[in-house]
Amino acid sequence: MSEYLLEMTGICKSFSGVHALKNVNFKVRPGKVMCLAGENGCGKSTLVKIISGVYTKDEGEVLFEGKPITKITPAEATKLGIQVIYQDLSIFPNLTVMENLAINSEITAGKKLVNRKRWEATAKEALSKIGYNIDLNAKMGELSVADKQLVAICRALLFDAKLIIMDEPTTALTKKEVDALFKTARQLRDSGIAIMFISHKTEEIFEISDDVCIMRNGENVFAGPTAELTPQQFTYHMTGRELTDDHFIPKNVSKEPVLKTEHLTLKDKFEDVSFELHKGEILGITGLLGSGRTELALSLFGLEHPKEGTITLNGEQVKISNPIKAQKLKIGYVPEDRLTEGLCLQQPISDNITLSSLKRLSNAIGLIKNQDILDDANIWKEKFSIKTDDVRKFASTLSGGNQQKIVLSKWLSNDLDVLILNGPTVGVDVGAKQDIHALVHNLANEGLAVIIISDDLSEVVVNCSRVIVMKEGRIVGEMTGDDITENNILDIIR
Amino acid sequence: MNKATIKRITGRTEFWIFLVLVIMCIGIQIASGGQLFESSTVVTILRAMVVDGMFAMICLVVMVSGGFDLSFPAVAALAYALSTTICVNNGWCNTNPLIGFLLAIVIGAVLGMLNGWIIANFKLNTMIITLGTQTFFIGITMGLLELKEITSTLPVGFRTFGESYLFEVTNSAGLRSTMTTMFIPFVLLCIITSFVLNKTMFGRALYAIGGNEVSAERAGYNVKRVKFILYTVVGASAGFIGMIRVCMARQSIPKAMVGKEMTIIPAVILGGASIFGGEGSVFGTVCAVGIITVVSNSMLLMGIDSYWQDFFNGLVILVGVTVSAIQAMRRRK
Repeated sequence: MSEYLLEMTGICKSFSGVHALKNVNFKVRPGKVMCLAGENGCGKSTLVKIISGVYTKDEGEVLFEGKPITKITPAEATKLGIQVIYQDLSIFPNLTVMENLAINSEITAGKKLVNRKRWEATAKEALSKIGYNIDLNAKMGELSVADKQLVAICRALLFDAKLIIMDEPTTALTKKEVDALFKTARQLRDSGIAIMFISHKTEEIFEISDDVCIMRNGENVFAGPTAELTPQQFTYHMTGRELTDDHFIPKNVSKEPVLKTEHLTLKDKFEDVSFELHKGEILGITGLLGSGRTELALSLFGLEHPKEGTITLNGEQVKISNPIKAQKLKIGYVPEDRLTEGLCLQQPISDNITLSSLKRLSNAIGLIKNQDILDDANIWKEKFSIKTDDVRKFASTLSGGNQQKIVLSKWLSNDLDVLILNGPTVGVDVGAKQDIHALVHNLANEGLAVIIISDDLSEVVVNCSRVIVMKEGRIVGEMTGDDITENNILDIIR
Repeated sequence: MNKATIKRITGRTEFWIFLVLVIMCIGIQIASGGQLFESSTVVTILRAMVVDGMFAMICLVVMVSGGFDLSFPAVAALAYALSTTICVNNGWCNTNPLIGFLLAIVIGAVLGMLNGWIIANFKLNTMIITLGTQTFFIGITMGLLELKEITSTLPVGFRTFGESYLFEVTNSAGLRSTMTTMFIPFVLLCIITSFVLNKTMFGRALYAIGGNEVSAERAGYNVKRVKFILYTVVGASAGFIGMIRVCMARQSIPKAMVGKEMTIIPAVILGGASIFGGEGSVFGTVCAVGIITVVSNSMLLMGIDSYWQDFFNGLVILVGVTVSAIQAMRRRK
């Protein structure tokens, strides 16, 4: 038998004349974790779909366990032992854990009737594969993302999987859950299963993978052991440019605070929060999930209503009762979940950008010219280098990083004093992350006061000139300048 | 029973809807001075549940799969109107109504196939598609075929079948009520629906598709085929139920079904079926149909103006849909 479980050589695939994959080569060893890395839109998903039989390759050779595979259907891929755990996990939220675990193998076995005992046995067998314990009668939709993922993994293992492909499994997980997932992955690896892990998060790839294949624009630019790479080289391969992690140094911080809170308290969420925010600085607010950081941000935007304490804006005490009031006070908020909270994906990019500045664009009797919207949108497209050929296309056609840029521009197209960014680069790849960071730095230097709420410590360290650490609803530490390091923050959080 | 089990039961819409039904019945019993639980009233209410309850079953299976069928009344009307017309013209069914039923089922199945084919092959909103086919089917019934009302000339076979009954009860005031034979197909349909939904892979496919269509496809279900079969069977059932109605009413009126979907679908939603698919049960649906029937019947019993009926039906739509939406919202969190 071949040393490799899966070998792909010279894979090409194009869609209506556009090359999605150009001469891709890589190998997966059994009992190893292989990472497929690359920025959004580099062809990772296309490659996975070729392996799982959803797409057919145009050229190239695929060897599985040394045997060539020419044409393959998803069902045959399953039979060979290839299992894909998609990002959406392919679960049924309305069914129980038991049903979710057993349904696939029941269908594959061609069963016509439901036998609860057999389903339960199958489900128990699946859970025992990784020694995972969960209430079989719980509704799938009520589980946490991490639990859903483990159920999906258990389900995949029922098919005697030899290769498990996980499509960006860590996106919606907390650090602790990621650790648990990695533990399971290592356990599987040690039992001889090959794991192909799709990701764009540098730290995670270095933590978990034995081999790595980096893709850029449909080509693989590196394939080999992870140990041969440094994180810098890795980032270079992924983005094709040298990225610099410059600390942000504020240039012109105002003397007077633009925003000030005193003894702000929201029951059960945070208590006695007092801080100041100056023009030109980027203030980081960090802490674990549940530390009250998000609720604090929402309070400043009128979505939560603290009962006690005061908020002062430009020296005047204000009451921010709702987001409309907040906008009037020149406060902008970019939510964490940009896809559900910040964008109308099935609307043109131009409409999204101008959504919060329609008042400015409309004339005396409230009418709006389409041309004005397009002009305005194009200005922002240039300014933020949003990658699209036409702003009239739907926002859903953009990659995650570019979507985030739209959300930012939506707010910035109004004149702002304070901009609150909640997890600004969650789910965004390295290159776009860098662009967004640079943009925020520029904005601060132009005199905007920025708050970044994040639990991505490297992001906080690189971007913030001052950091407030929250724990269980209280401010437990504050640091500035060179004191801001990941270790210093971790010391306080723990 | 442990805490988790109790929580699971109280977390279900069916539990609450059953509770509402029971409390409401007790309330009406007291308000009407003990008239509700008179044997004759109970029989009358059960009798009134037959047709609506059966229609609710086919609505339920469609909604579980994440779809909406607005066309079932039009399918039923075309099936029974055409079937009875053919029977009258050929002098069939004067003793046995079987041929009439078979005809209606076949016609219903063909119309259902059209729904199924369009829905399976074009990923359009089922509500829009069935709204289109509904209008189309009404057009065929009234315009193309010009099917007429059949009342006194209705074949005797239908009439006698419709008048047949299982048993007879007499209340304290000497009022007589009969329990129609049609109650048996109603009970059978409920049992069959429940069996299909819970005990067959086809039924689980409906829940799976209603829960997440993409996942269902990846899991190995042939989603297109499932949908085609579903709408075909639903069409055939609509034809059958239509004939039951003709027998019970002892007349075939093509227009009698218009707007029926607007009272049945809210009842199904009230019974716990989700407007987003993947949820719903036979028990909840029967309870909800029970509530609506009991209320409309009791309004007559207590001499309340029948206009209040619309008021109540509207209220049911609002309550049912709101609860369904709140549950979906909670799930997303």
